[in-house]
Amino acid sequence: MALISPSEKDFITKGIEADMRNDGRSRIAYRDFTIETGIVSQASGSCRLRLSKTDVLIGVKVEIGDIISNTTSDNNNEQEQDIVNNQNESDKGRIVCSVECSPSASRDFEGKGANDINNELSQIMNRVLNGPQGGIDLKSLCIIPGAQCWIIYVDVLVLDYDGNLLDTIFLATRAALQNTRIPKTEIQDIGNGQLEFDISDDIEDAEKIKGWEDVPVTVSLNKIGQKYIVDATAMEELCTDTKIIIAVNRNGEICAMQKSLYGSLNPSLLTEMIRTAKDIGKVLIKNLDTTLEHEQVMASRANNKKFGFFI
Amino acid sequence: MSSGLDLLSPEGLRIDGRRANELRRVNCKTGILVQADGSAYIEQGNTKCIATVYGPREPSHKNLQYHDRASINVEYSIATFSTSERKQRSKMDRRFIEIANIVKQTFETAVITSLYPRSQIDIYLQILQIDGGALHTSINAATLALIDAGIPMKEYVCACSAGCVEDTPILDLNYFEENNFTPTLTVAVMPNSGKISTLVSESRLHLDKFEPVFNLAVSGCKQLHSVFDDVIRKSTTELANRVMEKQKE
Repeated sequence: MALISPSEKDFITKGIEADMRNDGRSRIAYRDFTIETGIVSQASGSCRLRLSKTDVLIGVKVEIGDIISNTTSDNNNEQEQDIVNNQNESDKGRIVCSVECSPSASRDFEGKGANDINNELSQIMNRVLNGPQGGIDLKSLCIIPGAQCWIIYVDVLVLDYDGNLLDTIFLATRAALQNTRIPKTEIQDIGNGQLEFDISDDIEDAEKIKGWEDVPVTVSLNKIGQKYIVDATAMEELCTDTKIIIAVNRNGEICAMQKSLYGSLNPSLLTEMIRTAKDIGKVLIKNLDTTLEHEQVMASRANNKKFGFFI
Repeated sequence: MSSGLDLLSPEGLRIDGRRANELRRVNCKTGILVQADGSAYIEQGNTKCIATVYGPREPSHKNLQYHDRASINVEYSIATFSTSERKQRSKMDRRFIEIANIVKQTFETAVITSLYPRSQIDIYLQILQIDGGALHTSINAATLALIDAGIPMKEYVCACSAGCVEDTPILDLNYFEENNFTPTLTVAVMPNSGKISTLVSESRLHLDKFEPVFNLAVSGCKQLHSVFDDVIRKSTTELANRVMEKQKE
C-alpha cells in the first residue's frame, strides 16, 4: 500500500485523540456507501458497493454439486474440504467464497502479490457464512439428502481500495445474497427409494435464499494511539496497531470475532469495543436494508431497466 | 460450413439482429477509479472490461529498467463470474499471458516510451463479462485508460474483429459467432495514419477473403475511433471547465 511518514502518522493519531479525523468524521462515524444490485447479467445475483472510494463487485452463482461430508471424504478439492470439515451433516448445502483483489486497486496486488490477502479474506468469509452463525439456512440448499445440493459461489472482485475492505465485502455480500435467486427444484420418487429432481426454467419460480436477512456484517475497529475508530481509511489503517473484527447480525448478536495486527489491548477496552461494534453493526444493517428496499422500488418504477455499472 | 446459414439469415441479419457490417453497442467512460493514474470502462455489446493504468513509475523489477525507454507491463485477468459457467482461473493461465503480451506489443508501438527512460507503465485489464471479442475490447479499454492517465501516445489505437460467414464478411463477432468455426481476424490500427499495430488470426481464412474481412475490420476500428474521440473530448472539456471554475474562485 501507500507509504506514510512519521509526521503524517502523528497528525492522524492526534486528530483521532481529539475526535476529529482527517475527513471530518468522529471516531465512530461510518462513511456513506452507494449500492447497485443485479448488474452482472450472467450471475444469479450481484452487487457493486462503494464505501467512499473502496469499490467491490460481487457475483453470486448457484450451481448444483454433490454433498460432501466427512463420511465421503474422497474429494480432492482442498478448499471445499476445509469448509465441510466442521460439519458432518449430509443434508446441507454450502457457500464457497473467493476474494480477488485486482491490481487496479493497488500495485501490491499485481501477479501473485494478492495471494495472501485474497486467501485471508476468503477464509474469514467461508468461516462466517458456513457456520450456524452465518444466517443462511444451509438445509434449504439441500436437494436430495446425502447426494446433491445447491452450492452458492460468492466471488468478490476488489476494484478500488481506500480502507476497510472487509466491512465493505460483508456489506456487499449481504446485498448480493439478497439479490440472488435460486431456481426451484421438484423432487420425484422414481421408485425403490431413488429420487430424481427437475429444475424449473421459469424465472418467476426462482426463490430467494432463505435466511439472507440473518447474514451478519462485520465491523472492523482500529486501535490508534489510545482510542479506537471504525471504518478506517487507507491512511488510518497504516497507523493502526491493533484491529478487531467483529461480525454482528441484525439482532445485535456477535457472530465472529478476530484480533489482528501486532498490538495488544486491555480487556476493558475490548468490552467497550464489542459494545460499539454491536450498536454500529445494527445500524449498518438497517441502513443497508433500507437502501436495498429503496433501490428495488426505483428499479420497479423504471420498468426494471438498470442504468448501472460505470456508465 | 454447415452452421453458416444459422449465423446469417437470408435477410442478411445475424443472430443478435445486427447487419453484417454493424458494430455492437459501445459504451465507455474514463476516470472511474481513484487509486489509479488512469482508468476506463468499456462495454462492447455484452463484453465488459475495465482497464487501469499506473505510471510512469519506478519499475518493479530491475530487469525491466531500460536506459532509453519505458517498459510496458500488462496483466490480464477475467472475473470468475464473467462467463456463463463459473470458472476459477489462475492469473498465470497461459492464454491470459498470451493476450497480455499481444496488448503489450500493441502499445509499445503507440506509446511514446522514449520520453520516460528507466520507468514502467502498468496496464491492468479486468474483464467483467465475456461475450466474444475480449482481445479487441481490452485493447480499446487500454487506449482510453492510457489517455486518461495522460500518457503521450502517437495516436489512438482502435481494435476490432471481423470474420467471414459463407462469403459475407461480418464485423465485431459475438461469443456465439466466434465459437462457430468462423474465421476471425482481430485488427488494431492507428486510425489517422492507418498503420496496423496488431493483427491476430487464430483460424484458417482464404486469401481471397482476407482483404474484404480486413477492410471491414479497419472500417470498424474507424467507427470506434470516432466514438472514443467523442468520449475523450467530452470528458476533457468537463475537466477543463472544472479547472476554470476553480481558478475563478
